[in-house]
Amino acid sequence: MTRWLSPPALFLPVGVVLVLLALYPMIATGYGLRVMLQLFMWIALAQSWNVISGLTGYVSFGHVAFFGTGAYTGAILMTRLDLSWLSASLAGGVAAAVLALAIGWPCLRLKGPYFAIAMLGLNEVLRVAASYFEGLTGGGLGLSLPTLHASEPLYYAMGAVAVAVTALTFAIVTSRFGLRLMTIREDEVAAEAMGIDTFRYKLYAFVLSAVGPGIVGSLAARDQGYIEPISVFPLITTITMIVMVLFGGKGTIWGPVLGATVLFSFQEMVWAHFIYLHQLLFGAIIVAVVLAMPRGILGVLQQKYNLPRTL
Amino acid sequence: MTVITPTMIGQVVISGLLAGSLYAMVALGLGLIFGVMRVLNVAHGPILMLGAYVTFWLFSTVGLNPYLSLLVSMPLLFALGVLLQRTLVRRVVDAPELSSLLLTFGLSIAIVNLAQLGFTSDLRAVEFMTGSFVLGPFAFSKSRVIACLFAVAITTGAFLFLQKTRVGKAIRAVSQSREVAQVCGIDVQSIHMLAFGLASALAAAGGSLVAVMVAIQPEMGAIYTFKSFLVIVLGGAGNYPGALLGGLLLGLVEQLASLFLTTQVNEAVAYILLVVVLLVRPTGILGGRAS
Repeated sequence: MTRWLSPPALFLPVGVVLVLLALYPMIATGYGLRVMLQLFMWIALAQSWNVISGLTGYVSFGHVAFFGTGAYTGAILMTRLDLSWLSASLAGGVAAAVLALAIGWPCLRLKGPYFAIAMLGLNEVLRVAASYFEGLTGGGLGLSLPTLHASEPLYYAMGAVAVAVTALTFAIVTSRFGLRLMTIREDEVAAEAMGIDTFRYKLYAFVLSAVGPGIVGSLAARDQGYIEPISVFPLITTITMIVMVLFGGKGTIWGPVLGATVLFSFQEMVWAHFIYLHQLLFGAIIVAVVLAMPRGILGVLQQKYNLPRTL
Repeated sequence: MTVITPTMIGQVVISGLLAGSLYAMVALGLGLIFGVMRVLNVAHGPILMLGAYVTFWLFSTVGLNPYLSLLVSMPLLFALGVLLQRTLVRRVVDAPELSSLLLTFGLSIAIVNLAQLGFTSDLRAVEFMTGSFVLGPFAFSKSRVIACLFAVAITTGAFLFLQKTRVGKAIRAVSQSREVAQVCGIDVQSIHMLAFGLASALAAAGGSLVAVMVAIQPEMGAIYTFKSFLVIVLGGAGNYPGALLGGLLLGLVEQLASLFLTTQVNEAVAYILLVVVLLVRPTGILGGRAS
């Protein structure tokens, strides 16, 4: 009865949506294009967090560190070496992956709350480092990029990253690799006993989860035209991606897309009217999501209607 | 490169211990919450910020001595802590760390936002005590020395309470094993509320004491949350003497880092220390719980 939700059956509607999104710039206003671009950014970020934390259960409480690393790598390459934004953003992804490898190697041995704290610390330290190495990063003054002439190429690039990260999640969830990650989430000791090299697979997942935010960070830096330590390493960005994933459904394929779309639309439509209260409202939303629906929309639906795991 | 003399080292060590005693007191509160409830409380720093505002308002409106304001800020935030635990935090006790981190983060930004609305984001200061004590070649800011004395007294009091009184023993029993404590007739729910209240009172004390030394503003708390996390992991989460050791160690490392490197990097140095400690002893220096 749930065949209409199985992956091949979803190809058609997903394809239609993608075609419509690809045609959108023909009719879009500048504002509309930038809103969609940001939505793609949030989908890519939420989906990436889902790869490490949704699938393995290791809470990366400082995932914005990879976003910021990508942003700085990209911005430095674009301003100092005059690299094109496309190659700079790929370099941003590579830099984030290298950082994930270096940090994951010690930190993924830590369990539960200790890993979360170590990741929170990483983000704090990178922010301090970005302000400290003034020669390279411009310190607290930040870096300004040359004026951007057209948003369309960035729109397609950001959209491509969002699609790629979602496709990656699909590929992971439907593979043996994904099964191993989910076994680690359910019971790491048992996974180890079954012969899974848990540390290695956690590290793979962690590095994969860093690439997307790295590229997206660099693209966002290009889009905004200016970055500073506070703007690319805020804890609230990590929290926002987590809440989006939680809202949509942790560990699912479409949950992060759904969560990012709903929460981002809500933010665009509602928060603009409550400038002084929006942190309070966001706090209330977080508390409500954690208390009322920790499994998220898709999690609840999956349980209730016995939907396929690959949703 | 300036020459580093033994006097400078001595000065730095003492400054480190002065700062560390405050970290230890504040982190003991965070450690208490984690030990008893397995909740990582991101709102600990914002509660400290509220403590600082209590002192500021009492000082600027009725001219109350900032140190006497401890008698107001601690009970007031004890009550707030009990209320928060009773209404919200109790629902994430024992949940995976993601739930408690997110819930308390939500609380944290809500508290900061309310403080911005109520108190504005202007920098405030309590200009109460300036100047230094001079002792031989060393000089210490008066406010830091007095803050350290209060922190030592309050922390000692908290320890005696945990160690000697029946209620304190009940708190430790719950943090060792909730089930066994419950079987022994301990009312675990009340202990949870009490622990959260006590922890908030310790944070409030920290806030009142730093109010005299630093600029007060709604976002001042975040850095204390971060430092308290470092301290309880360094010492061993759920290990109460470990929080003291971790606090003093953090104070020392920060001061030494600012002597040999620069003050801007001391957070980074503290973080590297944390990662090294976690790798060598994943459960902290004095040992804590695995998770």
